[in-house]
Amino acid sequence: MLLYILKRVLSAISVVIVTLVASFALFFFAPTDPAGVICGPRCTPERVADIEASLGLDQPKVEQIALYMKGIVVGREYSTGGVVRHCDAPCLGYSYTLGQPVTKLIGAALPVTVSIVLGGAVVYLIVGILSGTIAAQVRGTSLDRFVVGTTLVVQAIPYFVFALLIALYATFLPDSGYHPFLDNPLTWASGLLAAWLTIGVTNAASYTRYSRASMIEALGQDFVRTATSKGISRRRVVYRHGLRAGLTPVVTIFGIDLAFQLTGAIFTESIFNLPGLGLLTLRAFGQYDLPVLMGGVLIGSAVLVVMNLVVDIVYTFLDPRVRLG
Amino acid sequence: MEPLIEEAELSRKGAPTDPIGAPTGESVKKVDTRRKSPTQIALARLRKDKVAVICGSIFLFFVLIAIFAPLLAKLEGQDPTTLNQNLIDQYGFPTVAPNGEHWFGVEPRLGRDLFARWVYGARPSLIVAGSVTVITTIIGVIVGLVAGFLGGWIDRILSWFIDFVLSLPYLLFAIAVPAALLAVFVGNTENAGNDEVAQVRFYSLIIVLSFFGWASLARLIRGEVLGLREREFIAAAKVLGVPTRKVLFKELLPNLVAPIVISVSMALPAYIVTEAGLTYLGVGLTEPTPSWGLTIAAAQNWYRADPLYLWIPVAAITILVLALSLLGDSIRDAFDPRTRR
Repeated sequence: MLLYILKRVLSAISVVIVTLVASFALFFFAPTDPAGVICGPRCTPERVADIEASLGLDQPKVEQIALYMKGIVVGREYSTGGVVRHCDAPCLGYSYTLGQPVTKLIGAALPVTVSIVLGGAVVYLIVGILSGTIAAQVRGTSLDRFVVGTTLVVQAIPYFVFALLIALYATFLPDSGYHPFLDNPLTWASGLLAAWLTIGVTNAASYTRYSRASMIEALGQDFVRTATSKGISRRRVVYRHGLRAGLTPVVTIFGIDLAFQLTGAIFTESIFNLPGLGLLTLRAFGQYDLPVLMGGVLIGSAVLVVMNLVVDIVYTFLDPRVRLG
Repeated sequence: MEPLIEEAELSRKGAPTDPIGAPTGESVKKVDTRRKSPTQIALARLRKDKVAVICGSIFLFFVLIAIFAPLLAKLEGQDPTTLNQNLIDQYGFPTVAPNGEHWFGVEPRLGRDLFARWVYGARPSLIVAGSVTVITTIIGVIVGLVAGFLGGWIDRILSWFIDFVLSLPYLLFAIAVPAALLAVFVGNTENAGNDEVAQVRFYSLIIVLSFFGWASLARLIRGEVLGLREREFIAAAKVLGVPTRKVLFKELLPNLVAPIVISVSMALPAYIVTEAGLTYLGVGLTEPTPSWGLTIAAAQNWYRADPLYLWIPVAAITILVLALSLLGDSIRDAFDPRTRR
């Protein structure tokens, strides 16, 4: 068991390191001229040289990567126009267009993304599992066919189109925007409500299908028949005995979905104008802000890898049948 | 030999042993499964599926629109790039409603003909999605076949690479990579012309989506091959001295038709959505390429004044993707009876 976890952790670390090197190569070895972009259209050669020196672009490529890695571990110094700015560890570079360390920008963006994704997850888990369980109980009836048909259609609508239409036409929902939870939980919730409902409704479709399928399987098991024959009420059989067995596969899928949503809430953030990780990356693309782009990609990869690792390890505890190796 | 096989199949009909070749239940009662390949059986089943036929026709309709876009625009007498500034008032609002000359009206602000932009907009969607689907399918199948069949250190390297690609946040990369690719292809981004940028964006979109798309199919194929590799017919082919390349493509590949077809039918609508979505965000295709994603992005600011401007591309992409997804579900059901609803 311990060996398995160790193996998974090592492979996760290898993925993060390769991502780091590959994206560094992509952004800084390609003839992208980051200094010229940072400097802007009215720029003198001296200024470009100054920026290149402060970014370390005048050094050999291997040293640049080493510097970047060192920055992540112990922090580093950046100087712009004679002013030295310290970038604390873990330092992911310095955004010249926004005038802030990348770590700070991402640190501000992450709570937004997490709020969006977790709130949405609450909605789709409740709606999806409940409607899936109900559909499983009335399998084959017109209600079941209606639920399954609805999920098919909802799943097939392009997500960004659905979100856009909600944002434009569902004016009865409170205005969206991000207000920190600690300032006022109520405004926090009302600002995110539209995004939560959008994520909730679209994802509830797939969760309805998952939980319907696994509930049908669970309700056909022998222990459910035994429980029924003991005279336990139908509700108790379904929600206590059946649901507990039927939810294991759903939990696994949820873990993987959550990881991808944390790195891919870009459409939601952009359409509802919530300054999360995706919107930060999107703005960085528009302004050609390479350090932020690279930081966003790295943090996204790390989040994904860690979440996958957690899901894998948790699953081996949940389901002893999983073969380790 | 022929009658013998038929006899064997007849005797087997009562109690089917192969879950894929001879599915059970009501799903097959209308289709004669005798002396047909699994693909033929699936196609016959598909032809009887009303939803599949309707959705397939809708898809065909959009393909025809894309192919005959210049002809349709000529039929209307307009083209997608002419600026009809005379039809736009000083605030940017169009002064004409849809009419015989401009079937869907004109774009606010620029005054380009919306019908022409709509028919031309079908092209990038289908070309990008189609080519990404083809590229990812070819790469995925080859990598999966090689990794699964050869095994050993080749399998270990390829599997690590598959896992690596699957654990990257692909939406973030889809935003970040075009920025770098633009610099690689065009050099200095500030002096690049609009057309040049649009072209590079077009290819970099295909490259990025292809890079992240092949891995899941490769993993699926690898798993299937691992199972098939130990079957007798492969051992027989090996003993007969059939070269590895032939074993892979003549013996193994025909057994993988079902998962490949299913994956293609699921991938196509997904890539259409991704293309339109990324373009909508401003990281996919750019002007002057006519694209539904671009039109939606521009039209969201005019949704009150000019709802038709927004709703025509929205309806087109929703109907196309809906049809393709439902068609994909039908294809999956036809090829894999175990998933039948």
